[in-house]
Amino acid sequence: MKESNKIVKKRLKITLGLSFFIVFALILRLGNIQIFRNHELKKGALEQWTKSIDIRAKRGTIYDRRGKKLAISVNSFTVWATPADIKESKKTAETVSSILQLEEDEVYKKLVSNQSTQKIKQWITREEANELRKLKLRGITIVEDNKRYYPNGNFASYILGFTDIDNNGLDGIEYVYNDYLTGRPGKWMKMTDGANRQLPYDGEKVHDPEDGSSLVLTIDETIQHFAEKAAEKALLDTKAKGVSVIMMEIETGEILSLVNKPDFDPNSPREPVDENLKKQWDKLPAEEVQKKWFDLWRNFTINDIYEPGSTFKLITAAAALEENSANLDTHYYCKGTIKIQGRTLKCANWYNPHGDQTFRDAVNNSCNVAFVNMGLNLGRDNLYKYTKAFGFGEKTGVDLLGEQAGIIPNNVENIKEINLATLSYGHSIAVTPMQLVTAVSAIANGGDLLKPKLVKQILNSEGDVIKEFKSETVRKVISKETSDTMLSLMETVVSEGSGSKAYIPGYKVGGKTGTAQKIIDGRYKQGKYIGSFISVAPIDDPKIAMLVVVDEPSGTYYGGSVAAPVAKSIFEDTFNYLEIPPKFTKEEKEEIEELVKVPDVRNKKIGEAGKILMELGLKHTTEYLELTDESIILDQFPLPGVEIKKGSVIDLFIDFKPNEEIVMPFLTDKKKEEIIKILDEMNLKYEFKGQGKSVLQSPLPGEKINFNTKVIVEFK
Amino acid sequence: MNRVKKKSNKKAVDFMLLIAITMLVFIGIIMVFSASWPVGMSEENDGYYFLKRQIIWSAMGFLGLFIAMNFDYRKLKKWAPYIFFLSIILGLLVFTPMGAEIKGARRWLDIGPIRIMPSDAIKFGSVVFFAKFLANKRENIDTVFQGTLPALIYIGLACGVIIQEDLGTGGTIAITMMAMFFVGGMNILHMAPLGVGAAGVFYLAINDPDSSYRLARITAFIDPFADKLDTGWQLVQSLYSLGSGGVFGLGLGKSRQKFFYLSEAYNDFIFAIIGEELGLVGTVIVILLFLIVIWRGIIIALKTEDLFGCFLATGITALIAVQSLIHIAVVTSSMPTTGITLPFVSYGGTSLVMFMTLVGILLNISRNVNFERS
Repeated sequence: MKESNKIVKKRLKITLGLSFFIVFALILRLGNIQIFRNHELKKGALEQWTKSIDIRAKRGTIYDRRGKKLAISVNSFTVWATPADIKESKKTAETVSSILQLEEDEVYKKLVSNQSTQKIKQWITREEANELRKLKLRGITIVEDNKRYYPNGNFASYILGFTDIDNNGLDGIEYVYNDYLTGRPGKWMKMTDGANRQLPYDGEKVHDPEDGSSLVLTIDETIQHFAEKAAEKALLDTKAKGVSVIMMEIETGEILSLVNKPDFDPNSPREPVDENLKKQWDKLPAEEVQKKWFDLWRNFTINDIYEPGSTFKLITAAAALEENSANLDTHYYCKGTIKIQGRTLKCANWYNPHGDQTFRDAVNNSCNVAFVNMGLNLGRDNLYKYTKAFGFGEKTGVDLLGEQAGIIPNNVENIKEINLATLSYGHSIAVTPMQLVTAVSAIANGGDLLKPKLVKQILNSEGDVIKEFKSETVRKVISKETSDTMLSLMETVVSEGSGSKAYIPGYKVGGKTGTAQKIIDGRYKQGKYIGSFISVAPIDDPKIAMLVVVDEPSGTYYGGSVAAPVAKSIFEDTFNYLEIPPKFTKEEKEEIEELVKVPDVRNKKIGEAGKILMELGLKHTTEYLELTDESIILDQFPLPGVEIKKGSVIDLFIDFKPNEEIVMPFLTDKKKEEIIKILDEMNLKYEFKGQGKSVLQSPLPGEKINFNTKVIVEFK
Repeated sequence: MNRVKKKSNKKAVDFMLLIAITMLVFIGIIMVFSASWPVGMSEENDGYYFLKRQIIWSAMGFLGLFIAMNFDYRKLKKWAPYIFFLSIILGLLVFTPMGAEIKGARRWLDIGPIRIMPSDAIKFGSVVFFAKFLANKRENIDTVFQGTLPALIYIGLACGVIIQEDLGTGGTIAITMMAMFFVGGMNILHMAPLGVGAAGVFYLAINDPDSSYRLARITAFIDPFADKLDTGWQLVQSLYSLGSGGVFGLGLGKSRQKFFYLSEAYNDFIFAIIGEELGLVGTVIVILLFLIVIWRGIIIALKTEDLFGCFLATGITALIAVQSLIHIAVVTSSMPTTGITLPFVSYGGTSLVMFMTLVGILLNISRNVNFERS
């Protein structure tokens, strides 16, 4: 062989070696891919072959206590894309976006994304679904879906809450019972080829979704409707910022209705119901709109606290009766103000003091001075104990989101005399409406504080009961006896006292009004009030406790004027609906038959007007308790000439002047110290004779005296 | 080296090479059948469409193989320039109305009822012609004007015709001829400026802002998952095929990737389908069969005393080696993607016949070789 050919042979061998090397490297590469990356790549391939689309479980229905549907799931369609299957992304995006009225860029971004499936649009109409289906676009799938629907619109919104686009509960019962309602989503899996057709090997698999459980609420749709209607009307009438109503079944703690107005439609919780407001919101920047949403979703009855004012006097009274520090025979004297620790506390109508009052009068009159004395006699330990025992300062545990505990003194030691005094009439304490209605239910039901309930039962998708919520007693607070006494006291508040606008002939309604100045940023805010009315009915067989709260009414703000009529209207409708027959008294029967024309009593003295009205069989009420007969009537409602039923109540608006005369207090059967205190406060001169308990006084109780009168008291 | 005196012209062919090629062709028939079924069903409504044609082409291939095997290759030396010239003409015809465009590339010629790829003819022509050139210029091959310059002109001529429309095939021809040139005694020093020039061109191509997409295509193989839906799509699909096959494969016929995930499943990506259905076992067997072909081819070249025969064997072996290894490297995402078929295995009319004919020539060369062991 020639010398030069040796190069050829050498180079051939090099080439052979190189070939071996490359083949060896490729085998290593194959080993790496097929052994070490086998798992990872197989997963990727499987993901690509398997088209799995969630089949959403049907969210459980929410029923009212009688089986009426409050929240349901309706069939809808959702468009999905499998980006891996889409070749002509641009064109597909164009078609899809034009049919579904979406931004083309947004759709395009989804179509080219790196995900195995992408949701294009949820809840499209049947027409849109059909149109898309006809086009048979590669990589675009239309899946049957379900959508939450609240058939009643803005109804019971604060109970039901609402869901997000993925059917997750975001608020209310929808949120709290989300796990029950959701169910378990199913999956629809199929192996597909690159053109999204089913592969011949592996069939499609469908894991059926497990539908969510349904809830039976304690709410009665009809009663809720009455409450909604009345609250809406009150909102318009009083031009208030808000009106809230809670009705609770006294024996069980079940909530029959819960209303806040204004409210929202859970079908579109991010839009105000009011059209004008909607337009306003459209102009707001996104951040502010968001703030508005959260304000709108605030459930006043549990998310907000307020000063209960006079409605809290029921707690003081119940505690005093239970602890026997007072009884129905206890008398209180009101001279309009009372000095505690150097501070002068005033009665609502301090210019026209209540004078001597029995326990019942004190409740009827809602006399602050009397309640201060009642509280002082009861003592701070006891009042604090009952405040806590009635559930104030702790969450009621109602199944809603964001409940507040309210504000009560941290401990007994922090309660100074002045705090005790104000607490007695419901000041310097903050409660939620839910707490108050729960406490008053306890007062009315024989003394059991119950946990408020919104859900009665949980049903599985077949409709069988899987969970039953029994009523839960938190603790026993007062005795049956005290409870009965309190009911009778509450009844007179309505039949004779400040709650007269809730009076319904034939039914015994008991209640207590409350008016409190609003506290904003820790200070009493001038001109902003909350008027409320807590009531129980029927008194002879207590069934329902109701709290009506009117937040910032314009004009008249007294609980008896703004809240009591709301309660009356709801009770009337409810009694009728529940077929509770009226039991008229004799007088009521006579009154109910006849209509009378309202007389003109304007510019008359109230004494005179009262007589005129009484003769016609009409009742009257004024904002102001304990007026003199001399007070002049400025205005009246209804206006003269209107025909109304006998027994109706006429509102009288009074121009009143502080009374120069005072009434001689009841001083017998008291210790000397007590009498000195009373007379000192009234700035009266006095002379004492003898020792022990007072037996004789001059002038006699009830006599009109002036400030120069010298009081003489004899003791034995 | 032992020399055994030739007793007759009709010695036995390299049996191992023949067996390896036959096995590859049969694996090809089976795999083309499997890989083409979905496309056959969807486009021709006949799952056997490609199988039938592959069998016919294989039969023609074997015919070509046997003719060539029994045809004295030395006669080719005389015809080599004409074959080369003709093949270049065919390559240029693609740009006339006779050329057929498929999927955006003009690579085919319609001649009567059959469609041929002129690149196959050019492969054949350039290997034969270049073997003759190297044999003739053996003594002066390391000079510039007798060796390097004309060699590079021929290489440029051979691949220049098709490289515009078919980078993969052009590259295959270029590498094959460079390998022949290397074996034939290339002066490596002359290659240095060429290497620098190529590096410069490459640098410019990379930094050309107008062709960032081209660059993306070229570099996609490094991480095909980075742009899975566009430039990386085929590579990802190929890796999914190989990866999901694992060691033993999903079973013959059980590929899922051939269902329109991998385009050209029976062609440019048939090796991936082999990996998916037959696993690592299948892919390694196929690679080893090619290794046997390369090994036997080079042994034949080594043992051939005739220089033309030696370079022709080198060229044929290099062509098979380059094309098969590029195919496998592309499928395993080891180099930039370029559509290229796997010799003997992929579906493909004229290509199969051409390769089998070339192997026939190789076998014919082996007839004139005395193997130590035989």
